[in-house]
Amino acid sequence: MSRRFVVSLLVLVMALSLSPAFSAVKNSAGRVLPPDAAPLEYQVLRVMSQPATTLDWFISVYKRTNEANNYFGEPLVRLNKNFEIVPAAAKSWSVSKDGLTWTFYLDKNIKWTDGTPLTAEDFVFSFQLAADPKHGWDFAWFYSPIKNWDKAVRGEVPPSAIGVKQGKDPYTLVITTEYPAPYLPMMMLYSTPLSKKAYEKYGPYYNNDPKTSVSCGPYVLEEWTKDKQIVFRINKNYGGRVKPYLEKIIVTFGDPGTSAFKAYLAGEIDICGYSNSQIFTPADLEVIEKDPELSKQFHQGFGDFRTFYLGFDCYNPPFNDLRVRRAFAHAIDKEAIVNTIIKKQGIVAYGFLMPGFPGSNPEGLKNIITYNPELAKKLLAEAGYPDGKGFPALDMWVRADLASPTVVAAANAIGAMLKKNLGIDVKITVKETKTFMDALNAHKLQFYLVSYGMDYLDQSNMLGIWVSTGRHAWKNDRFDRLVKEASALLDKKKRDEMFKEAEKILVEDVGGIFLWHQTPGALWKPYVKGKDLEPDKYGITALHWPGIEGVGTTIFSIYISKDVLKYRK
Amino acid sequence: MRDVIRVYKKNKLAVFGFFVITIIVILAIFADVVSPYKYDEIDLISFLQPPSFKHPFGTDSIGRDLMTRIIYGARTSLIVGFSVQIIAVGIGVPLGLLAGFYGGKVDYWISRLVEVMTAFPGLLFAIFLMVWLGNGLINIIIALGVTSWVGICRVTRAKTLEIKGETFVEAVEALGASNSYILFKTILPNIIRPIIVMVGLGIPQAIFGEASLSFLGFGISDPMPSWGKMIQESLGYLQGYWYMGFFPTLSLAITVLCFNFVADGLRDALDPRMYGRRA
Amino acid sequence: MIGYIIRRILGLVIVILLASMITFFLMHAIPGGPFDELKMPLPAEVKAQILKKYGLDKPIWEQYLRYIWRALHGDFGVPFQSPTETVLSLIARVWPVTLQIGAITILLSFTIGILLGILSALRQNTWIDYLVTTLATLGTTVPNFVIAVWLMLIFSVTLRWLPTGGWGEPKHLILPVLAYFLAPTAVIARFVKVNFLEELRKDYVRTARAKGLPERTVIFKHVFRNALVPIITLLGPMIPDLATGSVFIEVTFRVPGLGKFFYTSAFNRDYPMIVAMILLIAVLWGITYLITDIVYALIDPRITFT
Repeated sequence: MSRRFVVSLLVLVMALSLSPAFSAVKNSAGRVLPPDAAPLEYQVLRVMSQPATTLDWFISVYKRTNEANNYFGEPLVRLNKNFEIVPAAAKSWSVSKDGLTWTFYLDKNIKWTDGTPLTAEDFVFSFQLAADPKHGWDFAWFYSPIKNWDKAVRGEVPPSAIGVKQGKDPYTLVITTEYPAPYLPMMMLYSTPLSKKAYEKYGPYYNNDPKTSVSCGPYVLEEWTKDKQIVFRINKNYGGRVKPYLEKIIVTFGDPGTSAFKAYLAGEIDICGYSNSQIFTPADLEVIEKDPELSKQFHQGFGDFRTFYLGFDCYNPPFNDLRVRRAFAHAIDKEAIVNTIIKKQGIVAYGFLMPGFPGSNPEGLKNIITYNPELAKKLLAEAGYPDGKGFPALDMWVRADLASPTVVAAANAIGAMLKKNLGIDVKITVKETKTFMDALNAHKLQFYLVSYGMDYLDQSNMLGIWVSTGRHAWKNDRFDRLVKEASALLDKKKRDEMFKEAEKILVEDVGGIFLWHQTPGALWKPYVKGKDLEPDKYGITALHWPGIEGVGTTIFSIYISKDVLKYRK
Repeated sequence: MRDVIRVYKKNKLAVFGFFVITIIVILAIFADVVSPYKYDEIDLISFLQPPSFKHPFGTDSIGRDLMTRIIYGARTSLIVGFSVQIIAVGIGVPLGLLAGFYGGKVDYWISRLVEVMTAFPGLLFAIFLMVWLGNGLINIIIALGVTSWVGICRVTRAKTLEIKGETFVEAVEALGASNSYILFKTILPNIIRPIIVMVGLGIPQAIFGEASLSFLGFGISDPMPSWGKMIQESLGYLQGYWYMGFFPTLSLAITVLCFNFVADGLRDALDPRMYGRRA
Repeated sequence: MIGYIIRRILGLVIVILLASMITFFLMHAIPGGPFDELKMPLPAEVKAQILKKYGLDKPIWEQYLRYIWRALHGDFGVPFQSPTETVLSLIARVWPVTLQIGAITILLSFTIGILLGILSALRQNTWIDYLVTTLATLGTTVPNFVIAVWLMLIFSVTLRWLPTGGWGEPKHLILPVLAYFLAPTAVIARFVKVNFLEELRKDYVRTARAKGLPERTVIFKHVFRNALVPIITLLGPMIPDLATGSVFIEVTFRVPGLGKFFYTSAFNRDYPMIVAMILLIAVLWGITYLITDIVYALIDPRITFT
């Protein structure tokens, strides 16, 4: 065919595709909606959260909303549904041979809504702010691997000395670490920057008011009505590679634990149950199970790989005796608890790392602590308390914010098992959260039930909390050494081996009794669709961690389908 | 006294109430003997079962028999109810008497103290105290007791003032009686009656208070049951397990109602207008 | 009389000082602070800086005096949970919400309560009487948080007639008021019925009837007025009670009122808010007591003031 014919054909096709018959609907940021998407005014997602004081990570981690966070900035990387890191503000990155220097190359397209570009300076500013003890950041323990971070937090060096600096140009960010930390990119999931310009002009709460808020992320602040709701509107000028579908996100304030499910049933919100503040009660689960429609909307996932465990004061009697701890461990029937009480919301834990988490070893740890009341009785007698005689009455503390009806029932069941198998009297007390943590962090708690969920996907995070300088009153030198060394190793095979050995020690030395791993379920309406809500590489369909937060890719793939019209949204 | 009983018996509701309360008290005292199971006996096979022969009130989420827990719950509620009122009377009556009788500076300062206590309205102050003291039966009693004496104190003071102004008191004074005689022999007997009525009404209030604190998460420690805690736990199971909430709510309602009947009956039976003054 | 009032107001000032002192003491006795250590302990230096930021590092007495000094100038501090506004503006925003619910509840419970009370007094032992007694029973024997949850389940989740909670439109008022007004109505109805019956037994009623006055006049012109006067004694304490709201109802229905903020402030250790709210409540009750005491004195000349 002649060239002219081909070119004309191409032009014809292009012209046709631009005509209304072929053109698809685009949203305000320019992304083409899927064919089954509802009209633009329906592209609104409604969720519920506790009231927030701020929305920014670097201002306060705990005082934000539960899930609708990190929309005003572009973090260096994001997490997709397969728990893989994908580029975000950082187009690419590289690490030096010794593993101590990371260079991130920033995407030059990303701009703040006030016109200034996102540069390394904003990141440097944000990290230095977090390291500054005067700022009083409530997550100040987190970035330890960064060079000079701990010293800066303690006030020994100025914040400007931390290993986060601009590289050879404004779009290069260089992060240096104290020791090789192969998981650093994973940690950089949490790097949603603040705008240096806006902060210096308006102070830490510039994002609380639409008039002063600036964003370089997928959404901007449209409305923040105190005591009522926060409304996010799509950022028309978002410079990221992938733009979101949703035009608006509405966050209603409330107490998700008690109200979210009811609001979902009443059709007031579109998603519920995916965060730790919204665990379903057994009655809720029954309602879901019995209703065929609701059952289809219920999806379970890994959550944040949270493990529930019993802890002790291992520095004082009676729990300083390993035999006592092992007696307790063998006296608890974990399978029965999971089968009857936890049911769908958890699986039995044999170790601290949940199956699915990198380096988890359920097969290798399964047979260390088995349910064996005879052995338990024997050990307890050996330790000097035959049939529980002479053993002090115990008060098991359960942290109030984790004390859902399921957890309290499990605690009661454990207490009853200890009474039946060991003859020990156990009281169960739900303790107010701050009072609980105050005592735990001071190593003053004798016997307690608590949980921990991961912050980033690496063994150094989960196992790291068990080192003796952490919150647990347990010390094992070999464990401390293994974890410290393995965290800094670059050789993946060797570090995995060392972490495996460390976890084994943790289980054998009964630093804690690991009960179950949480498999939270989320509900979302049939008209909420998206690529990230489809099966992941394991075949699991769930609202994966971090849910709809801006540091995950899920929020970018969610859209509202035409089915919404059936629900009269 | 015989007259009191006679008038009281006329009120059928009051008699009924008294009868029911007595049964509850007996059940509470002899809970160990009466209950078919232990209150912390779990049965991970038969959990969340509806009422049946084996478990007349059903079982809870870990298989504990609900009827047993209701009976033991009565014990908790009654202990709280009576203890709190004892504290309330122990603090409120002496203060009220002194304020009303001596007047002047004594009255002034005691009334200010009353006002300070009301700055912390019952429940809110109880929440404070519970966060400070921690959970537990004793702490609940202390928290509720400390916030309950105000009402009794005010009534005592008002009645003392009222009676003090009556002519017969002036007469006794004129006869040269000492202050303590007047206080103990003249005023006190005449205010005991409204106090008894207030106590009768205060017990259900205290039981309610314990239920409220449990609802907010400040209940007594498990596995000891209390109606308030059982109600709070049942709220997560309302849809589908009606019996978990129904029985504790009913028990609470009946108990409160019967105490109210008794208090009403006592109020009528002890009405001084029916007997004339005792000098 | 004037002298008495002045002395009482002075007394109120003392009460406020005492109440704030007790609050300060309690705040610092309770463990924890306005920071979270949910996962790992915070480094000691950071904690010290956080405390310094909130002014909590100084000795209690110094903190207390600073607070009083600033309060006298109208500065009650900044709430920890909402640092972009002041305590006063937060309370000014939040209190009217509670007042709305409280005002409607008072109105409803008094009108309905008085009506029901009179009805059951006049029609003793009829079905009206029993109905009223049953409703009154429900109101006083079932805790209002249980009623609140039932109402929500029926009207919001099942029937979908009303929202599960929130605030801003008239429809948000319905369930909270419904849950709240049952108990006071019951109390008032009972009170009115008892007083009414008592009045009916009195001599002057017999006289009026003997005089041949129509029953209507007897009831509405004489008994009515005399029976209702004691209601003032009921009304007194109810007003500050309802003006400060119910924690349960506000939390259950997500109403952003005073009660809910008291709850969240206690848990978040929001000290400025807690102290300010306690002071507010102290003033409310102090004034209420003063007024009721004056009213008592006006009614009953036997009560003297020393």
